[in-house]
Amino acid sequence: MKTSIRRNRRAAVAVALGSVLALTATACGDDGSGSAGDKGNEGSGKGEITFWDNNGGVRTDIWKQIISDFEKKYPNIKVNYVGIPAASAQSKYDTAIQGGGLPDVGGVGTAMLAEVAVQGALEPLDGRLAKSPLNGKLSQNLVQSSKAAGGGDQLYQIPTSSNNGTLWYRTDLFKKAGLDAPTTWDKFYTAADKLTDKGKNRFGFTIRGGEGSIAPALDAAYSQSGITSFWNGDRTTVNDPKNVAALEKYVALYKKDTPSADVNNDFTKMVAQWDSGTIGMLSHNLGSYQDHLKALGADKFRGLPNPTQADGTRVQISNPVDGLSLFKSSKNKAAAWKFVEFALSQEENSKFNQSAGQIPANTDAAEDAWIQKAEPTKLAAEALNGAGTKIVQLPYYLPDWNTISKADNEPNFQKVLLGKMSAKDFLNTLADQLNKAQADWKQNH
Amino acid sequence: MITEIAPAPERVASEPARRPRGKRPAWDEVPRWHIYLPLSVYLLFTLIPFYWILLFALRPAGSTSLVPWPMTFDHFGKVWNERAFGTYFQNSVLVGVATLVMTTLVALAGGYALARFDFRIKKAFMLALLCTQFVPGALLLVPLFEIFANLRMINSLASVVIAETVFQLPLSMILISGFIRNVPFSLEEAAWVDGCNRFTAFRIVVLPLLRPGLIAVGSFAFVHAWNHFLFALMFLSDQGKQTIPVGLNTLMSADSVDLGALAAGGIIAAVPVVIVFAFIQKWLITGFSAGAVKG
Repeated sequence: MKTSIRRNRRAAVAVALGSVLALTATACGDDGSGSAGDKGNEGSGKGEITFWDNNGGVRTDIWKQIISDFEKKYPNIKVNYVGIPAASAQSKYDTAIQGGGLPDVGGVGTAMLAEVAVQGALEPLDGRLAKSPLNGKLSQNLVQSSKAAGGGDQLYQIPTSSNNGTLWYRTDLFKKAGLDAPTTWDKFYTAADKLTDKGKNRFGFTIRGGEGSIAPALDAAYSQSGITSFWNGDRTTVNDPKNVAALEKYVALYKKDTPSADVNNDFTKMVAQWDSGTIGMLSHNLGSYQDHLKALGADKFRGLPNPTQADGTRVQISNPVDGLSLFKSSKNKAAAWKFVEFALSQEENSKFNQSAGQIPANTDAAEDAWIQKAEPTKLAAEALNGAGTKIVQLPYYLPDWNTISKADNEPNFQKVLLGKMSAKDFLNTLADQLNKAQADWKQNH
Repeated sequence: MITEIAPAPERVASEPARRPRGKRPAWDEVPRWHIYLPLSVYLLFTLIPFYWILLFALRPAGSTSLVPWPMTFDHFGKVWNERAFGTYFQNSVLVGVATLVMTTLVALAGGYALARFDFRIKKAFMLALLCTQFVPGALLLVPLFEIFANLRMINSLASVVIAETVFQLPLSMILISGFIRNVPFSLEEAAWVDGCNRFTAFRIVVLPLLRPGLIAVGSFAFVHAWNHFLFALMFLSDQGKQTIPVGLNTLMSADSVDLGALAAGGIIAAVPVVIVFAFIQKWLITGFSAGAVKG
């Protein structure tokens, strides 16, 4: 009996070990198809391609419409749409880069472009663009931003749209208080003070203190200081005394003219609070336009580009640029590129951006009638492309940018708001990390 | 010998009963507000977020009212019909139920082995089971992804069910083995004497006694699979195969969020879990306490 049990046990162990080895062997035996190491090929220009939308859900309908138009024009190409929640897009790409299963073409924003490109997953697109009918039809500012975000040597993303920092303000409250539109920083601070009545739970402004707080804080600092470059040689200008002074003035609004709960504000809370309360101004971007429209109606608010200096000088930080990238591992790059070209054509790019409320990358699409009617988008496009506008290019190309601008420094910004850290110390810490990351990056390029 | 028991002296009515020093007051000696006030405050903190979700889900877009009136079900219609929550719901039910069944069956077999057999590496095996609980799922994403890709199981609900089951099994096996140990082995032996083989004895005698444990383990597996986001996001690509947690995330874009739809989606996601807990609450508490204390 005992012998039989022992024999059975040995057999079970052998089966278990065999299964583990078989699974391991099948896992290791793959050639990495669809992962970053795979070089892919041009393919026949026909058949199936997979497209990952990095802002799935909200943009699903419009992408499906574009795909349907594409499949009508190219009946021998089928596009498989995969919508990925925006917050998880990077982890999905990272997993696929390591484990395989990358798409042929996908949405990759500038904020994650460097991290995806540095893993060798993306196809350089300069050559394809040069031979494409799109050449010369895309906003050069945006193409430059895309190139810079990917590391500067090669173009890894064809921009589809740009966002822009927007100061949303309540026209009804401004009118009642007899205030001018907050077009300059002086007018902005005056309005923030005048619209605040803490006793009645009314505030002039809502500040972003939680997730995503660093970009708006830097935008406010550079925009007021007038410094037009992020780097002075190999040292960042982020802790320049003028930026320190500007940031001190900006964070002084916290609790004085903003709700105290703002210290935890991410964009969701900030937008929800502005849409449902009695707060005068909100600094966000064009992306929340539809939310404000639904909540407040068209006649109660306006969106302006962020304020200028008193003399009209406009300095703003570069905003994330959305775009499409081709993956090196694609087995059908020709078909995938056709899809990129189609999506960037005037008609489709216009359709996409009208739905997204963003600024089209296709310059012909940017002239379309709907933009003239959508005031915030029109003003943002004018500001972005205006001759007098100076854009401070944030270093999206640094592989550590996301870590530095999020995990490392968002808690510090909260400390600044709460008075536990000075704006100077905050910017000095940020500057040290950026200088080090820049030096590391330079060493490898 | 007759022992007379002296009658106990009657307590003087005016003299209050003295509690021995250091003893806790009896339930009926505590003023009611000492109990109800903290409970009410706690309940308030728990219920306010739920009320807030209901409020956003039921009031029209743009309303700032603090009561959901006029009431609208537009947000529910939107997420169910336009945002494919019907499909997500169906997929989540499939994943949840399949995980429940697989986890319970395998945990039952493994738990029985742990409870009734002695083998050389049993202690090390138990320790290994416990250690797996410290490994976050995210750490195993890439190897799991590779394995499923090679088995051609990416974009199949089966991959999520297997991954969920594998992650649920260690704790479930430990819990079930605790329950089985509590069932006297002599009951099984008696069944053997009556002519049952081991399996029949287990099925007829032991299994019915494991009901609280099975409910606890099964519900835990279901709820975990129902709420888990990561595996569904990574292993499923086709929109028609995604589950509720992924669907909820797609309601939040990079810079815009429809709070009414998000709240309605949240309620749709929460309802099955609430119903499951309402029905099994009694078994769940009995199950976990029995498995945990006596295991």
